[in-house]
Amino acid sequence: MKRVLWLMIALVGIFSAAACGSGNEAANGNSAAGGGGGAPEKLIITAIPDDNADKLKEHFGNVAKYLEGKIGMPVEYMHVENYAASVTALANGQAHMSWMGGVTTVQADQQTEGGAVVVCCRDIDKKFKTYFIGNKEAGAKKVDDLKMLSEVAKGKDFTFGSKGSTSGHLMPRFFFTEQSGSKPEDVFGKVGYSGSHDKTLAQVADGTFMVGALNYATYDKASQELKDKAPIIYTTPTYVDYSFVARKDLGDELIGKIRKAMLEIDGSTDEGKKILSFMKAGKFVEADMKDWDGIRNVMESGVDIGG
Amino acid sequence: MKHAGTESRYATKRPWRHFAALIVIAVLVFGAFWAVEWDFSTFTNAAKGERAIERAGDLIASFSNPDFSSEWLERSWELTKETLSAAVMATFMAVILAYLLAMGASRAVCVGEESFRGRLRSFPLRSPMAALCALCRLILDVLRAVPDFAWAVILVAVLGLGPVTGAVALGLNVTGILGKVYSEFWDSVDEKEYEQIRALGAGRLKTFLYGIRPLASRSVQSFTLMRAECAIRNAAVIGAVGGGGLGAEIMYQIGMGKWGKVTTLMLFTLALTLSADLASNFIRRQLRNDPNHPRAVKIRSTASSVARAYIGVAFAMCIVVWSVWFMGWGNSAGPDGESKNYLEPLANLTSGKEVKKLKFFEDLLKPDFDGASIGLGDPEAVQKVHDAGKDVQLFSEYGPGSFWRPAAWEAWELELRNWFVWRVIKSASVPLSMAIVGTLLGVLAAMALTYPHSLAFQLESQQFTGESPHPLARVLRFMQMVLARGVGLVSRGVPEVMWAFLFIAFFGPGLLAGTIAIALHTLGVMVRVFSETVDNIPYRRFEQSFRGSRMTCFAYTAGPISWKDWMTYSFFQFESNVRMGIVLGIVGVGGLGFFFTFNFEWFRFEKAGTYLVVMVLLTVLIDRISRSLKLSRVNN
Repeated sequence: MKRVLWLMIALVGIFSAAACGSGNEAANGNSAAGGGGGAPEKLIITAIPDDNADKLKEHFGNVAKYLEGKIGMPVEYMHVENYAASVTALANGQAHMSWMGGVTTVQADQQTEGGAVVVCCRDIDKKFKTYFIGNKEAGAKKVDDLKMLSEVAKGKDFTFGSKGSTSGHLMPRFFFTEQSGSKPEDVFGKVGYSGSHDKTLAQVADGTFMVGALNYATYDKASQELKDKAPIIYTTPTYVDYSFVARKDLGDELIGKIRKAMLEIDGSTDEGKKILSFMKAGKFVEADMKDWDGIRNVMESGVDIGG
Repeated sequence: MKHAGTESRYATKRPWRHFAALIVIAVLVFGAFWAVEWDFSTFTNAAKGERAIERAGDLIASFSNPDFSSEWLERSWELTKETLSAAVMATFMAVILAYLLAMGASRAVCVGEESFRGRLRSFPLRSPMAALCALCRLILDVLRAVPDFAWAVILVAVLGLGPVTGAVALGLNVTGILGKVYSEFWDSVDEKEYEQIRALGAGRLKTFLYGIRPLASRSVQSFTLMRAECAIRNAAVIGAVGGGGLGAEIMYQIGMGKWGKVTTLMLFTLALTLSADLASNFIRRQLRNDPNHPRAVKIRSTASSVARAYIGVAFAMCIVVWSVWFMGWGNSAGPDGESKNYLEPLANLTSGKEVKKLKFFEDLLKPDFDGASIGLGDPEAVQKVHDAGKDVQLFSEYGPGSFWRPAAWEAWELELRNWFVWRVIKSASVPLSMAIVGTLLGVLAAMALTYPHSLAFQLESQQFTGESPHPLARVLRFMQMVLARGVGLVSRGVPEVMWAFLFIAFFGPGLLAGTIAIALHTLGVMVRVFSETVDNIPYRRFEQSFRGSRMTCFAYTAGPISWKDWMTYSFFQFESNVRMGIVLGIVGVGGLGFFFTFNFEWFRFEKAGTYLVVMVLLTVLIDRISRSLKLSRVNN
């Protein structure tokens, strides 16, 4: 054991030497990503991980490459493994710009205490909506509003998507509570969180849950077979969702350059086509943090999941 | 006088503790079923059951078709390496940190000899060293209780983004586990065994280095190896916290329903687990120097006896060096296939500026105890809650005098629900219930499976039975053992989280799926250590009591001899199952873990803080019980 101890001490030495050796490089990288004001030497972008890591790396790698050419400074994509980490990274200045969902956009604004600005969003983001779907075999029928749903589907099992999702959880919950006047937990038999939109669809189709709520983009591109098994029973009013959020301290000049570059993207070049088709968007449009006030109000009025 | 002494000795030796233990277990199981709602409708409801069987059929069918395209194999191989390097780095870091912290947390090492007796002996502020000891224990409890994914989110603020964050997060969690067990091992060495070192005038450090440490070294070493394996197995957890690797990809592909790819990834996970099993056996054999062990490597010369320890250590070190290299320079999974040094962020720890960013999480340290609901704190807030009718009016309907009426308890519970902290405490019943039922089922199944799993009773039994079995019988026994080992390997090789995903597909999300996942994993882990203790028993002990049936010999000789060890391991497993219950809550079973992540992800740090406090309390409670029961003894 003594030998083990000595070897370990030696190894700690080597290990820390290695860490120090790379320290110089790291210091450079840090100042680039530092939380201080002014334009950084390197722009770091990140995104909420709502898709496969490799796909995101490839896609945002393309975005980074495109921006690099347009704004004339190095751009790098950093991957994060969960929603909260992307907000934290932006708030702490480890990332300068991030692709956020509706809730995370507002959270970024709150956590930076107003130090965040919306660069742009997709054309489809300004009129996002959620579908409530039901299991066909169990006799799902269209309802006029969610009040009616709460009456016909009382005691049945219901599922949201991911609990941090805007279109899969926050907004459907909000509309449901507003229209029916009661919490989903009090109306439905069991309230689940499937984890993602496509899972919600699959689980309602196969009867694990009788009713579910998911974002319209996922439903629209699903197979006809699934759609037949789980028809739409209600469509919510529209609301805003995803956006590119940047730190204000990048400076108006740089933010302006990035915004201009993003708005210029169209399907005429290969590069632009790739970016837009991945994002299922026609083009990027201008947006303001104010557009997210609706979501902010919903969030601030409190989401009571019973915990 | 002598007569009275004997009598009292007999009285204390009466085995009432077993009955007490059985009653405690019965009460716990009853509590588990009473405190939370179990959904057995898959079994009782015919239509639901049919659908579940249909889905299970689909599931099995989809597993029979793995994706073996060359690019996917290559990708899986990359992910396997990533998982291995993160797990090894985490364990390596944890061993060093845990060793130091455990020295503080062990009473025998840190406090040493003391004149305090009775109740004062367990008072933490009796001396400065005792206070240090209590502090170290608390640090270990916190490290263990905070789930690794929460560490990952917190560490992102300091270390930035990247796989190292995941490895460090996992490492902190493993530190908590290892540190607790090390310090328990050291504490449970009998003081008499190192008395002579103290008598020679050695201080606390020397007593530790020359007395306590060597006496407990074998237990420490074997537990470290077991934990290292576990870290590798917990690929799924590493993935979820940002370490990438196999786990994250499996979860993603399950979500997408790409079962062919999942199958390939699962096969890689199993291969990795199997290699880890074999490698740790190899290290264990090289480091073991108990000549009485039936399966000990017989030493032939001085050189080879010295070499064995070096070979074992060198092997472990090679893996560690490779992981550090891979994490730092060898990993070519970057966006353009270029290698990127993921170790860079570690240097951030040395600059104070980055550490300051932890302030972001300040609110976690200010848990919300919702004093307003129970009439404490700011009078204005209290009034507001009271006006809304959301305060706790415990005795509004039934006075304390009607405690004998069940309705009164129900009404009290309903009132208490207005208090946030009560809801938090109640949510802890979910992981606890799952852990209680899951551990019990798993341990019972493991005991049954130990018999066919044990080498001593299947292949080498003729050494103590004296029989010479027919070759066919031998083949049969061999098959039995291979089957048992296969079951054990698969059920522990697949991490709990993945089992949970599979059973959620079958039973729907809920306690049942989580419990079965825990039970299955417990079975796999326990059957290995159980049969290891059985195989470690010298065969002469079976010889004496052998009466013709291997099964009875196992039940009446091997079982009782290894019983205490089995119970020790089971209790450790129970503690880790409670934590696993919290993690499973996150993936969709509900309860404490679910509400914690929800509040954490929504940046309601005060509320998340309250859940964290309950998690830590739960861990402290179980830890202190296990310490006071002296379950972890060093088995020399």
